[in-house]
Amino acid sequence: MTLIDNTQLALERAVSGASMRQSVLANNLANAETPGYRRMDVDFHDALAQAMGSADSATIEATNFTPTQDAQTMRADGNGVDIDTESAAMAKNGLEYEALLSVAKARIQIVQSAIGVG
Amino acid sequence: MGLFDAIDISGSGLSAERLRMDVTAENLANAQTTRGPNGGPYQRKEVVLQTAQPNGFATQLAAATGSVQGMGMGASQAPGGVQAVGIVTDPSAPKQVYDPGHPDANAQGYVLMPNVNPVTEMVDLIASSRSYEANVTAMQTAKSLFSKTFDLLR
Repeated sequence: MTLIDNTQLALERAVSGASMRQSVLANNLANAETPGYRRMDVDFHDALAQAMGSADSATIEATNFTPTQDAQTMRADGNGVDIDTESAAMAKNGLEYEALLSVAKARIQIVQSAIGVG
Repeated sequence: MGLFDAIDISGSGLSAERLRMDVTAENLANAQTTRGPNGGPYQRKEVVLQTAQPNGFATQLAAATGSVQGMGMGASQAPGGVQAVGIVTDPSAPKQVYDPGHPDANAQGYVLMPNVNPVTEMVDLIASSRSYEANVTAMQTAKSLFSKTFDLLR
């Protein structure tokens, strides 16, 4: 086992994916009243699961996330943002971000105490 | 995209919604104004919102150095928030109210009143106020997430 293993790399990519999703969801909320705006989202779980499947540290480290835009809208002004859905998704994403960070931090602390700086 | 993008995006939402509130307030304040800036009755105004392209320091630096923007997101995909591109006047016809004693009444006794419907304005006011609150919540969430990230350094 190396000092920074695949799980740690995947955790770091997941944190940056969740951070990107936070920006994208904030953008949806900011554009809640923009006519013709279609909501965007990032599925970082899917991209990361694929990279994890390869079990190659370089692949995991280089995982990229791409935001997708909805093809359909539900309102007459062409806007597809529902404030309640966005707020719920953002709350969920925030909790996930915190959970990922806690695990990443705990793992860093384990390594720190093993090498005697913790 | 940079670290604080989520906060900037929510900030753009806050200023856009505040502008909408200002314009709605102006419409309500002028609901009875018969002498507008162009001589006729006041015409109701509306804000035009548009999705903004990111144009911050990080974006400019990435463009200048030709580097790939963070997390492999192209400039056209990166979220940039919202911007108000203009305030347009509502061209719908003014209301005619029969009030012969009014100084601006015409020969038949009708006064041209602004095309402002207080109910529409109140609904707009509530909508922009709710959007504003949603953006404030998003900004607070982003702020608490980033401060948790900085805890990693301790």
